[in-house]
Amino acid sequence: MRANANLLIVEDDPVIRQLVADLMRREGFDVEAAEDARGMDDALARRRPDLIVLDLMLPGEDGLSICRRLRAQSNLPILMLTAKSDEVDRVVGLEMGADDYLVKPFGPRELLARVRALLRRGGSTPAVARERRFSFGAFVIDLDARELVDQSKTPVALTAAEFDLLACFVQHPRRVLTREQILSWTRGRMADPFDRTVDMQISRLRRKLDAASPSAKLITTVRNGGYLFTAHVGQVS
Amino acid sequence: MITRLTFASRLGLIVVLSLIVAWIGSTAIFYIATGREDGESRPLPLPRQIAAIVQLLEQAKDSNERSLIIRAVSSQKFSVKLVSALPLLQTPEARPFELRARLLQKALGEIGGRPFSLTFDAQGGHDKRPPQFSYLSPTDLELRVRLSTGETLIIQGYHRPTTNVYGMPIGFIAGLVGTLTGLIALIIMHRQTRPLARLAARVDQIDFSGLPTQLPETRSAAPEIRQLIGAFNRLQSRLAQLLRARMAMLGGISHDVRTFATRLRLRVDHIPEGLDRERAIADIDDMIHLLDDALLASRAGAGELVEELVEFGQVVRAEVDDRSAEQAHVHLRSAARHEEAVVLGDRLALRRVVANLIDNALQYGKAAHVQVDATDKSVCLTVDDEGPGIPPEQRDAMLEPFVRLETSRNRRTGGAGLGLAVVRSLVEAHGGVVNISDAPTGGARFTVSLPLFHA
Repeated sequence: MRANANLLIVEDDPVIRQLVADLMRREGFDVEAAEDARGMDDALARRRPDLIVLDLMLPGEDGLSICRRLRAQSNLPILMLTAKSDEVDRVVGLEMGADDYLVKPFGPRELLARVRALLRRGGSTPAVARERRFSFGAFVIDLDARELVDQSKTPVALTAAEFDLLACFVQHPRRVLTREQILSWTRGRMADPFDRTVDMQISRLRRKLDAASPSAKLITTVRNGGYLFTAHVGQVS
Repeated sequence: MITRLTFASRLGLIVVLSLIVAWIGSTAIFYIATGREDGESRPLPLPRQIAAIVQLLEQAKDSNERSLIIRAVSSQKFSVKLVSALPLLQTPEARPFELRARLLQKALGEIGGRPFSLTFDAQGGHDKRPPQFSYLSPTDLELRVRLSTGETLIIQGYHRPTTNVYGMPIGFIAGLVGTLTGLIALIIMHRQTRPLARLAARVDQIDFSGLPTQLPETRSAAPEIRQLIGAFNRLQSRLAQLLRARMAMLGGISHDVRTFATRLRLRVDHIPEGLDRERAIADIDDMIHLLDDALLASRAGAGELVEELVEFGQVVRAEVDDRSAEQAHVHLRSAARHEEAVVLGDRLALRRVVANLIDNALQYGKAAHVQVDATDKSVCLTVDDEGPGIPPEQRDAMLEPFVRLETSRNRRTGGAGLGLAVVRSLVEAHGGVVNISDAPTGGARFTVSLPLFHA
């Protein structure tokens, strides 16, 4: 571990920010602090830190989005602080890009241990953009190339809307998705909550998947009109 | 059973039953009326008419005159014949015959009296029933009178059911029209109640965590039903608003408490190392645990839990492993195939259910013996402890919030009493059941069964 490693703390609560900064300084770190995304960008423009301690709940741009943005640019280690324990599962998810997380309230020793461990790894996360290819059942989907192939490597023809739906299912597997959730993920905020075309598109998608891989039953309808993608999804390189 | 009938079928049943009652009633009235007529005069001529016919025939000069008389008195309802020397028959001793016979006797007595017999149509002879049933279907009667000329007058009365111009019984068309009207009314009524059935179906589907789904106000529905739908829509938005506000408030409180707890936790390290510091850290942990429990329970109540496929056995194993690593007395018995059992639910909530039950057993029962079993329909978690057990009368209360077996709310001996209430509300939100019973080891046994997921 290098002496005087440089930390950037992004935390909106001034007291916690101060306490953490003081703690890290006492432990011999070089500490900068910012209260939101704008402050963080300014600090990053001045000097590149060795590690960012990032709060998940921030006013303005939230930690999740900051994390994705940073990940797209660099392999800077990120330690995420979360207030909600139920966020943890999502934070450690594939997409987030945080290297580690800590649930509030945390003790000084836990924080130090995580920070030191991350610094030791020293941004060892591969700099290459994560492959967005996943396998499920007999299929492999490539989200960037927008291609779905079956077990014999034959492409399955899907419309753009059907592909978006499948991408949504693959990114949220084994979880009940309501029509509203699917709509907001595939079409953003402009979605009309009474739009029934989703149901039709899902039944068409289901037919196409069934035709390519019969008896797999990948998409199940559950009560109250929710949908469930039952396959285990794995990342493939 | 009656409670299962829908509104429409109840109305339908009422209509059908009243139609049946109306038909039975009118038929009964018809037969009673017919029966009364039968006992009086018909289908034979009146006794005095018969006496007059007898006199006329006896006074007739020749056969030509007699046949004229016979033609004059014959009608659709009775045929009159004059036969020479036909024996009389035995009049049966039954009410309609006796009454008639008495009246005839009287009428014929006024002209000097003639022997006569009154029977069922002997030639037709089709009716073998006892005469008291002749009320239900009046049969033909045959009257034989011995004239003073030695000849026998035979008057046969035919029973003709009263019919209308189309040859059908009177009232048949009215009944038919009534029934058809009733059926049409039934169909219309069914159409009227359909919006109610739809309303009920939609109300069941309402998911308060999502956007409020407005129920359609069918224009063809009755104004009352439209009002009901409108009122329901307003109630729904108010409830959704209330729930959103509550969840937002809880979320805000949770966030702020965590922020304060984080500050406190960071400051605690300034306390010199020792028992006080350990206790302060434990207090903060308990506080956050309580907060998580309350938040999770309220989310379960608001239907805000995530639904995902969770391998329940693996959740149990993870919780047991965590505690075994801390040298707690936790033992897991479970077959590998039971660990594959998949439940549709919230992973975090299920983890909390298992954690609370195990921690409860460890805290009050010194040890936790955990077992997972799966059947075709459900997966069952059993947690036994080695404590003193729970008296049967207190078991239900144990699952209520803020109830603990010890009456003192001493922090040192336990939590706030929310743990088991959280277990119950989370398990019930997953469509499962919690039970408390006696463990074979002598302690308490907590059983949680959750429905398995079937694609």
